[in-house]
Amino acid sequence: MTERARNSLFFIAGAVLLFLYAYSALNMPPWGSYRGPYGDAIARVAVYERHATDIVNAINYDYRGFDTLGEEFILFTAVLGVSMLLRKEEGALKRPAGRLEDDRGLSAAVRAVNLPALLVTTVFGLYIGVHGQLTPGGGFQAGVILATGAVLVYVCENTGAFCRITSHAIVEVTEAFGAGGYAIIGIAPLLAGLPFLCNFIPLGTTGDVFSSGTIALISACVGVEVTASFLLVVYIYLQEIITGAFPEEE
Amino acid sequence: MMTNPPISPALAVAVPLLSAAILAAVRKWLPRVAMDVLGLLASLGTLAITSILLYGSVYHGASVYWLGGWWPRGSTAIGIGMVVEPIGAGLAVLAALLTSLALLFSWRFVDSGQKHLHPLMLIFLAAMCGFSLTGDLFNLFVFFELMSIAAFALCGLKTEEPAPLQGSFNFAITNSVAGFIVLTGIALLYSVTGALNMAQIGLSIGHRHDPLALFACTLLFCGFLTKAAIAPFHLWLPDAHAVAPTPVCVLFSGLMVELGLYAVARIYYAIFAQSFAPHAYALHVILFAFAVATVLLAGFMCYAEHHLKRMLAFSTVCHSGLMLAALAAGGPLGLAAMMTYLVAHAFVKGGLFFLSGVLLHNQRSITERELFATARHLPWAAALWILGAIGLAAAPPLALLLGESAAERAAELSHLHGLSAIFIIGGALTSAAVLRVGMHAFFGWGDGALSDRSAEIGELPETDPEHRRLRAYHLIPPALCMLLAIALFAYPHWLHILRDAAAAMASQPAYLHTSYTGRHVALTQPSWREAIPGAVTRSLLALILGLLLALSSVFRNRLPRHLRVGAFVERGFHPLREMQSGHPGDYVLWMTVGIAAFGSAFMLFLRR
Amino acid sequence: MPGVLHSLPYFVAAWLLLCGLYGLVTSKHLVHAVVCLAILQSSTYMLLLAIGYRVGGSAPIFADISTSKLVVDPVVQALMLTDVVVEAVVVALLLAMVVKAHEKSGSVSPNDLRTLRG
Repeated sequence: MTERARNSLFFIAGAVLLFLYAYSALNMPPWGSYRGPYGDAIARVAVYERHATDIVNAINYDYRGFDTLGEEFILFTAVLGVSMLLRKEEGALKRPAGRLEDDRGLSAAVRAVNLPALLVTTVFGLYIGVHGQLTPGGGFQAGVILATGAVLVYVCENTGAFCRITSHAIVEVTEAFGAGGYAIIGIAPLLAGLPFLCNFIPLGTTGDVFSSGTIALISACVGVEVTASFLLVVYIYLQEIITGAFPEEE
Repeated sequence: MMTNPPISPALAVAVPLLSAAILAAVRKWLPRVAMDVLGLLASLGTLAITSILLYGSVYHGASVYWLGGWWPRGSTAIGIGMVVEPIGAGLAVLAALLTSLALLFSWRFVDSGQKHLHPLMLIFLAAMCGFSLTGDLFNLFVFFELMSIAAFALCGLKTEEPAPLQGSFNFAITNSVAGFIVLTGIALLYSVTGALNMAQIGLSIGHRHDPLALFACTLLFCGFLTKAAIAPFHLWLPDAHAVAPTPVCVLFSGLMVELGLYAVARIYYAIFAQSFAPHAYALHVILFAFAVATVLLAGFMCYAEHHLKRMLAFSTVCHSGLMLAALAAGGPLGLAAMMTYLVAHAFVKGGLFFLSGVLLHNQRSITERELFATARHLPWAAALWILGAIGLAAAPPLALLLGESAAERAAELSHLHGLSAIFIIGGALTSAAVLRVGMHAFFGWGDGALSDRSAEIGELPETDPEHRRLRAYHLIPPALCMLLAIALFAYPHWLHILRDAAAAMASQPAYLHTSYTGRHVALTQPSWREAIPGAVTRSLLALILGLLLALSSVFRNRLPRHLRVGAFVERGFHPLREMQSGHPGDYVLWMTVGIAAFGSAFMLFLRR
Repeated sequence: MPGVLHSLPYFVAAWLLLCGLYGLVTSKHLVHAVVCLAILQSSTYMLLLAIGYRVGGSAPIFADISTSKLVVDPVVQALMLTDVVVEAVVVALLLAMVVKAHEKSGSVSPNDLRTLRG
């Protein structure tokens, strides 16, 4: 299809779609007047039932924990897909897409900042992860922050340093443990006759770090998995695309 | 009498997911044989779990399982519910069965990406099981996404050629857009109902008929119809099927596409049935129009293809259109017709894809021209292939006939004309294509096969050149598929169960009752046995038409000019080929046109 | 018109959806197409968060406020929280496809990568 035909057909169809969307938006409740029962029903009871003060996390890992299990495995599958797509091929030449010469380190000032920045990021990430059930935070956020810490090493040093701290096999196994751990936490209550993903360990006191039962545990699993998967993705991209040095594969 | 499901339906999702995680963790250290065995065991375990669920739902009635023990408070559902009823559980059993057969077929089969195939297939299986068993709309979306991502990765498994990457990229773009469209629809529904549980949304929407409900319904339908490969949302499917490895194609065509139609049916009957009831006829006509377009477009493109998998892919699109036509015939009978056709088609199409994989393995080629007269030493494969062609025309002794007869009866009852003509046209075109390939490859008739641009891509063989011999694990899956399709026709006792299950699914009050109280409502509907003889006649007519078309193509050089219908249709129609351009922007454009058309049709005809 | 102003965030979400679709349809570079997909996702975030907002409501964190105070809807926030992180990795998957396609055929324009025509 020629570009002109494509554009004109899209303008017509797009205009109709925009009109339909806007027309139906006028029938929605006005902005700022949320009245639905679902959010209020949970907000009323979550603190008493689960001793968690962060309702968003309580929903994610308890009330709608099954959704989060699915989402976590989407992440796992996407990383598996990346490692499958960018795997080493039989008899392939080392032809990297980009070319990165970073054998020489960066300036001393940047490298000096590396360790403090890494420490601060790691501590902050762990803090966010551990306090997920009390304040905004939790596994997903903590995982991303911790992974950024490792990427900081790449930014301040070079690819070699990054690859030294993220050995391929261990990261993959950790990721699988994080993902599988969530499934195990879900299956475990079944052995005790309780429903799947039931919060069955002691709930502790509200406001305490070790409260809200399995919410904290699941959050930890997710955090481990997200960290490992981001590290793996960055590692695969760096190794096989930029520098063209294929790792020891099967 | 137990009201709860005998085992937790979440196990049908958690067990394959856990197995996939374990396999992915240890894949570097396990030999290929161990991965095959463990993958097959996990898949068979899921088959056992889903079979128990199906048994429980059939003999003790449908039930609901609230995850985490979160039963609804009043009418507000605060957790995620899984409704275990025969249709959903049956789809999960089908998913596990097809995955097991696919894993058996790929025993040392797909050499490239071998360590990644098993975890990805198990995750795909888990997503399909979760998709069919869930009762929560956002949970449906999450499993839709999981199914899509696993499918994108599986589609691009063979990275040595450029074509799989483009096919899987087109697949990824179109299905991701479909996912976001679905999420927009869910958000719009959430804004007015404040609920994510399908039964609760249906309760809140009630008779509400305003543009919001219509547009939300449009978005949800269009998103799932993209997965179901209905025109004009179907353009991704041939690209994806032509390049995916064979066991993956079986799963795509056998079940993934049909789950889109199941989702449309579920959403319509659980949420919108009451609000669209005054305009049911208009809705049926709109859906039927899209179905007719799909059947015609895909049927003619199917005959014009010379790459085996691409041809079978277009035939999947065509049959998906036929299933939508059955659903559009309306009512519990239409739903029962669609499900019957779905199950039978899954086995027939799966068997045909397995056979094309056998040809690729044995003859190292997948294009009709190169396969000419090369497979004469495989008589059993020829027999199964011809059986498949007969099945696509919905002729006896395969069970698609039962679906077609039910659809025709449903169309009679709801005054939808032209349904039987569409079934004849679709069946004739697709079975003609399969017959033509069979005559060329297995019998070597005629003077040589035509080819076309897409067939010139060909496909690199999936296996090692030293292992060209066919072994038991290549033979069992297609034979089993065809046998099951025949058995479903010969022992139609399962039809009683399906009829009653469809009656329950098509009744919004029954679904509500099951969702909130966990008890089933026994509904029944009359049999359509008297419609079968008429269907036999029609399907034999379709088969004969297909045979004539195929013969006129194969022996085109011996016919006078004006009788060369076959060769004429085989060359294809230029506008149709232009539409299937391979450019992802074009595909998204047609999706937008489709959504705009659907939405306008809804606003204009369903509003009053 | 008060009616229009009350629905302004929803119009923005609609506009984002259209922008994303337009970008996808007219894209000349595969990486650009993937980013347009991310724009489509942003439109759904916009819609979800706008639906859940409540004027005068505070964040659904009861660590320092009493449980009887009015809060915004926590459910939509939970829904999109996981989506944000997951989408980042899905974009990585799509970009891996783009990189591999470039490696095999030397081009990143959709117009040139059309072996699957007809």
